[in-house]
Amino acid sequence: MKEKIKEAGCAWLFVLPAFIPLMVFWIYPILRSFYISFTDWDYMSPTYNFVFFDNFIALFKDQRFYDALWNTVVFTLGTLIPTIILGLGLALLLQKSFKGSGIIKFILFSPWITPTVAVSIVWTWIYDPGTGIANTILNFLGVPALQWIKSSQTSMLAVILVTVWKSLGYAMIFYLSALEKVPKELYEASGMDGAKWWQRFRDVTLPSISPTTFFLMIITMVNSLQAYDQIQILTQGGPSGSTRTLLYMYYQLGFEEFNMGQATAIAIVLIFITVLLSIIQFVGSKKWVHY
Amino acid sequence: MRIRIGLQKLGKAALLCIFSIFTAFPFIWMVLSALKTKAEVMDVSRFFPQECQWGNFYQVIFNSPLLRYVWNSLFVSAITLFLQIVTAAMIAYAIVFMKFKGRNFLFAIIMGTYMLPTAATYIPSYIILANMNLLNTFTGLIISNCVSIFGIFLLRQAFMQVPMGVIEAARMDGASHFKTLWYVVCPMTKSSFITFGLMNFITCYNSYMWPSLITDSEEKLLVSQGLRKFFIEGGAYGTEWPLVMAGSALIVLPLLILFAFTQKWFINGIGGDTGMKG
Repeated sequence: MKEKIKEAGCAWLFVLPAFIPLMVFWIYPILRSFYISFTDWDYMSPTYNFVFFDNFIALFKDQRFYDALWNTVVFTLGTLIPTIILGLGLALLLQKSFKGSGIIKFILFSPWITPTVAVSIVWTWIYDPGTGIANTILNFLGVPALQWIKSSQTSMLAVILVTVWKSLGYAMIFYLSALEKVPKELYEASGMDGAKWWQRFRDVTLPSISPTTFFLMIITMVNSLQAYDQIQILTQGGPSGSTRTLLYMYYQLGFEEFNMGQATAIAIVLIFITVLLSIIQFVGSKKWVHY
Repeated sequence: MRIRIGLQKLGKAALLCIFSIFTAFPFIWMVLSALKTKAEVMDVSRFFPQECQWGNFYQVIFNSPLLRYVWNSLFVSAITLFLQIVTAAMIAYAIVFMKFKGRNFLFAIIMGTYMLPTAATYIPSYIILANMNLLNTFTGLIISNCVSIFGIFLLRQAFMQVPMGVIEAARMDGASHFKTLWYVVCPMTKSSFITFGLMNFITCYNSYMWPSLITDSEEKLLVSQGLRKFFIEGGAYGTEWPLVMAGSALIVLPLLILFAFTQKWFINGIGGDTGMKG
């Protein structure tokens, strides 16, 4: 009996160093966010009123919210689709190693480890409408110059391009390890040695790596919901709100306008979307991870 | 037949070339721009600098506070990482090898927070740090970040590969749990620790949003904030692009070099152990 208690005490000794900070800076803040979202607190004044669902109602009546939601959807899908398709394409090209494939993998993956702020500053310079290299290249190709991050019509495209550039290598690495794990017998067993490449790809490869595709989709979506650095450097949510995502709106409401109630209301919406995605991931992976 | 295969190979090589150039280009352009004069950088017809202006690098290294920001980031990242590794190893050990009430519940909580958007915690965390008088301090930055949920997952995954018999044998020999963790489990799962360390070091070193919310005094800035400050400060007279690019290069290139030698560990962390079954 005594032994058992000692064992349990020891276990908690191992748990607490991680558990206390986790409680203080993760779990409590999330619960606290729920609470603040029902108040009209402005951070400065010591008192506040309990306003129930007013923040949410105000939010759902605000056109800015819907614009931000739409921007988030465009940004998420605009990042997700090219990242997945190109990531898989590159992994297929690099599947068999050859002379120099290591260097190519290194190059393609390198943007992922570099600080988003630093590379976004470089991209700001590339995008400069007057003297940037992006328009020089477009000129060279005979395409009319773009205003890039200076125009609300192209700013989202510019932000997406940077994000895809940064996350492409990450998807590629995922796919490379997934392709490696596709059992060779599957190709042989299906008796398709002579079959067309495309057929083999569609009937064997694609289903075998579907868990990876699924996982990558969810992870990319979750990451897109949290994208901040590149938006802050490239466009600050502008021009005229064209790149203001939900997270960026959260930042502006909370840390620029000090409207804590509405800001946390957006945080709750973000949490809600993420939980939904996690549930889909959880249920989906049970169904899909089969090989 | 041979021609077809040859053409295919050529097509593959061309595609890979295009993507590699697209990916590497911003880095190349960064370095080239950093070596130009201010007049050259504005001249779109010039691709290469006429004469390399190494002085730009000299200026950002010795006449700007950038190195100080690098030092700040290294300092904060090193301590944060140390704490993250210790806390994650201990809790992962408890979850995998020890029996206690609430173990499954505990793991469920940690699992549940894995994907949640960190930013959702920022407003309350900000207030907590303000109440503790830790805004604008490295201590605040470090303690608010001293647990890594990703790390707990990674180590739990690795620890589960260690046979229970090995742990029991060590315990029979009279080793305490600390000793078992340190002398038995850690050496067996070394590669996960390396992956964990590298991944989280990079994440911490590159972090921007949270540090920029809680620190604003000049001497406490981390590298990303510092670089941004450097970038927008020149704004009044038009951005000094060569200097800004030299600053960016100063911060990006060491990371690329580090990455060149440690690529394998990153790939392990991403492709292998991140909670993916398969």
